[in-house]
Amino acid sequence: MKLNFFAKLANMYSKDPGKMLLHTGTIGWILSCAAQTIAIATNDKIDKKQKAYLIPQEIFDGLVNIFSFYILTRTFKDVFLKLVSTGKFTNKTIMKFLEKNNLTNKIGKMDFNIEKLANYSEIEPEYRAFKDGVGVVSSTIGSIISCNLLTPVLRNKLANAPSRALRAEMDKMDKEKEIQTQTPAKPYDYYKSSMASYRNHSGGMRI
Amino acid sequence: MISSVGNNDNSVNFNGSLGRFANKARQSFYDAIKNHVVNEGGDRFYKFAGDKISSAEVRLILGCTALMSQPFIDFHNHKQDEKTRKVSVCRTVAKIIAGTTTGFIVRKGAIKFIQACSKYPVEKFPKWRTIFTPKNILNMSERDLRNHQNDIGTWISLGVMLFTNFLIDAPLTKFLTNIFTAKAIKNPQNKEMRGEA
Repeated sequence: MKLNFFAKLANMYSKDPGKMLLHTGTIGWILSCAAQTIAIATNDKIDKKQKAYLIPQEIFDGLVNIFSFYILTRTFKDVFLKLVSTGKFTNKTIMKFLEKNNLTNKIGKMDFNIEKLANYSEIEPEYRAFKDGVGVVSSTIGSIISCNLLTPVLRNKLANAPSRALRAEMDKMDKEKEIQTQTPAKPYDYYKSSMASYRNHSGGMRI
Repeated sequence: MISSVGNNDNSVNFNGSLGRFANKARQSFYDAIKNHVVNEGGDRFYKFAGDKISSAEVRLILGCTALMSQPFIDFHNHKQDEKTRKVSVCRTVAKIIAGTTTGFIVRKGAIKFIQACSKYPVEKFPKWRTIFTPKNILNMSERDLRNHQNDIGTWISLGVMLFTNFLIDAPLTKFLTNIFTAKAIKNPQNKEMRGEA
């Protein structure tokens, strides 16, 4: 049973290694978010009113990160790689190769792919070196935009509402406690405590 | 509806009237982008990035750029009071430092480990140094081997980080947050924030 599961897993991911990277990364984000949330909740030096904002902020950070990565980073990278494979974004050597093979009229067409050309092997080392670089640069820029700009803005906006509600609830509870402490003691309790103080100090009374 | 999904060439072609519309829309999108041939400097830059930048360096770049953007975004969240914003900034900075340091070291370490254990199967290397050597190494180019080492190293590092998130990242973030928060609120002008007013 277990072997079957791992065999299926290996079979699924060996055909598309990028998918494994994404899925493992997503699990990593979820666990990181869980670890950080626990760390905030158990940090005694952070006031509970700040925790009411920091915990939702951390949870939304994880969620928005995953979605923005899938939607923005991947799309950004895929668009750039498509531009490279269709010859729209290229270098001089690859352009010369396309010109030599009279393929300039096909540049930018969705069904055109340099990697599928019969004589692709002629340009493969040059093309792959360029494509790998574009892949790294585009995914890094996409990650910067999604993880460092979009995510913090969105996570803060999303965390504001629950933090306000939580804080309002806390303020309400604090006020109730304050009212309870300010209420005078019952008459009998007051009598008992004042009598006790007289009793304790009766030795000093000139009666 | 989807006739072919190519993960390597990033092409997804759709059938049917809706699909034809989607394909036209995609074609129009790509048509709107001007053709661009990079100059020699740009070409060198892209090739350098493809050759030298692994997931470890990407993590470092993301960490550095995060330090330049996230604390400012947190500090300008005016829907929160000043103390909360300060604590939030301190925690964000602590989290970035802890996450980037751990992430970079674990990724780099895992990639180095895989590089050390994926040598050519020749006599001068002991057997353990070939445990991650791909079977078809003799048919692989230097680039393919490097990509293989980076990929396996990244997978291993992601596995390791499932544990380091709890064992190193979170405790280190907590420790740094407390140091930064104490310093941020230590300022004599912030008596009120410390509850001393």
